[in-house]
Amino acid sequence: MAADGGTAAGFAARQWPEAGPSRVPNWVYTDPQIFAREQERIFEGPSWLYVCLDAEIPNPGDFTRSRLGMRDVVAVRGNDGQVRVLLNSCAHRSMQVCSANRGSAKEFICPYHQWTYDLEGKLLGVPFRRGFRGQGGMPQDFRPEEHGLKQLAVTSRHGVVFASFAKPNETLENYLGPTMLGWFDRVFSGRALKVLGYQRQRLPSNWKLMFENIKDPYHASLLHVFLVTFGLFRLDQQSAIEMDDTGRHAVLVSRRGAQETNEATAQMRAFHQDLKLADPRLLDPVREFAGDATVVMQTLWPNLIVQQQSNGLAMRQIVPLDAENFDLVWTHFGYADDPPEMTERRLRQSNLFGPAGFVSVDDGEAMVLSQAGIAGNESGECLVEMGGREVANVPHMVTETAIRGFYQHYRAVMGL
Amino acid sequence: MIAAAPGVDAPPELRARLADLYGAYDDTLGEGDYERWPEFFTEACVYKITSRENFDAGLPLGMMHVESRSMLADRIAAIRKTTLYAPRLVRRLVGSIVLRAIEPDGLRLAASFALFQTMLNEPSQVFLCGRLYDRVVDDAGTLRFAERICVTDATLVPSSLIFPI
Repeated sequence: MAADGGTAAGFAARQWPEAGPSRVPNWVYTDPQIFAREQERIFEGPSWLYVCLDAEIPNPGDFTRSRLGMRDVVAVRGNDGQVRVLLNSCAHRSMQVCSANRGSAKEFICPYHQWTYDLEGKLLGVPFRRGFRGQGGMPQDFRPEEHGLKQLAVTSRHGVVFASFAKPNETLENYLGPTMLGWFDRVFSGRALKVLGYQRQRLPSNWKLMFENIKDPYHASLLHVFLVTFGLFRLDQQSAIEMDDTGRHAVLVSRRGAQETNEATAQMRAFHQDLKLADPRLLDPVREFAGDATVVMQTLWPNLIVQQQSNGLAMRQIVPLDAENFDLVWTHFGYADDPPEMTERRLRQSNLFGPAGFVSVDDGEAMVLSQAGIAGNESGECLVEMGGREVANVPHMVTETAIRGFYQHYRAVMGL
Repeated sequence: MIAAAPGVDAPPELRARLADLYGAYDDTLGEGDYERWPEFFTEACVYKITSRENFDAGLPLGMMHVESRSMLADRIAAIRKTTLYAPRLVRRLVGSIVLRAIEPDGLRLAASFALFQTMLNEPSQVFLCGRLYDRVVDDAGTLRFAERICVTDATLVPSSLIFPI
């Protein structure tokens, strides 16, 4: 095995189709060597990875576990108020030192040999370090300060915590770029957040298909009866696809439309003029952000989707497991000063999302069926030509430009 | 006849009626007759499927968050008319039902459940298991669920959850 996780011969055989980012070869969704290189170059490379919300760990000692790529980490607030992100692996025998999803601790004690770390990951104590009755113990030159828990680079903005295994040579603000930052700050304005709960699902699908799904506004008008019929996201509405300069991040922006038959909805089998909700409170959105956009879906390289669909706010964290499986972790939230009726509204709208969501089930199932089709056609390729073959921001939804943008950047990072 | 917790003074007739309610509910869902599912609930019912992770932390989010019988009907309409999903069968086993308390706002019961999922041309697999926390009331002579909270042991769902528990 080469140092970068794949055999050189294996990679030499991998040729991206000549057409460029308007074609995606199916082996990027199935090949374990590609997956290993993604872990090294993307998830452990100079990317800012979403970790958690500040609101999950408000007090010193509060911790929450997260998975960044294949690696298990603990985000913990120190006594100085700073959040640190520590690799959940003891410096001694690599055992996980934290086995709860979240909680509060004064220190982390490895259960195996009770090596003890403070909230900054510093090694405080090693039982029998000096031996017993003059026998055994660690060597004289053992220096505890060299054996703390591995600490990641950490940054945060307006209550959202990011970390990196290889400190990026750019700030989070530069990494996101001015366009993405503007949309990010729209939801995360500095107003205190409140976590409403978690949803998790394990999808037998490559992790990139999740990003492609949210970068693809074309499918939404065809697959999602719910979104289309009730006008939550439909290609006849005024919309835009915007990317950063690299194409790695994107945002889909749209505005709510009416349940009416028109030139566009007439082409959508998913549009049902007569469908009515028995309890209309399920879709009872109120405007809460400046501007007229009602849905803003941000895909932030390489592991985060920020969802604002009406009053449904959620972080969707992508956790790759192997080439053909990933976990999707949803953290739904509102604002700390939401009145009770707003929290109720968000909870009702949460029925659209997650593993049992009126809308999201369609996507989950589509990704599973995509992976099944890809696995049976590994030498094939996916066609990504809707809206042209180039990568450019556009003021409409009949396009796959953001998928092309993603793969333009992906190829550069992966050397493919 | 439903078991009663120690100290719960429940007449045999009530316990037999509860057994009939749970039996009819399981029979209806067991046959996939989801259109009749909302009939087992009161108009102002609460129905929720959530994880032990959320439940124990007091976090209100669920995977299904229903606040009325009409919303239950909307769930079924979505399954029948709008949702894309690969063909599957879900088998429910509900057991260890216990009447825990008789309170002014209804009868409190708890039970365990296991769901097995069978995808087309695949073997049956355990899908979810957990606990049910129910509140049953006499709704004009008929016992109905005023509240059913389904708490899954697993933090995560394999793929997607289509059908109610």
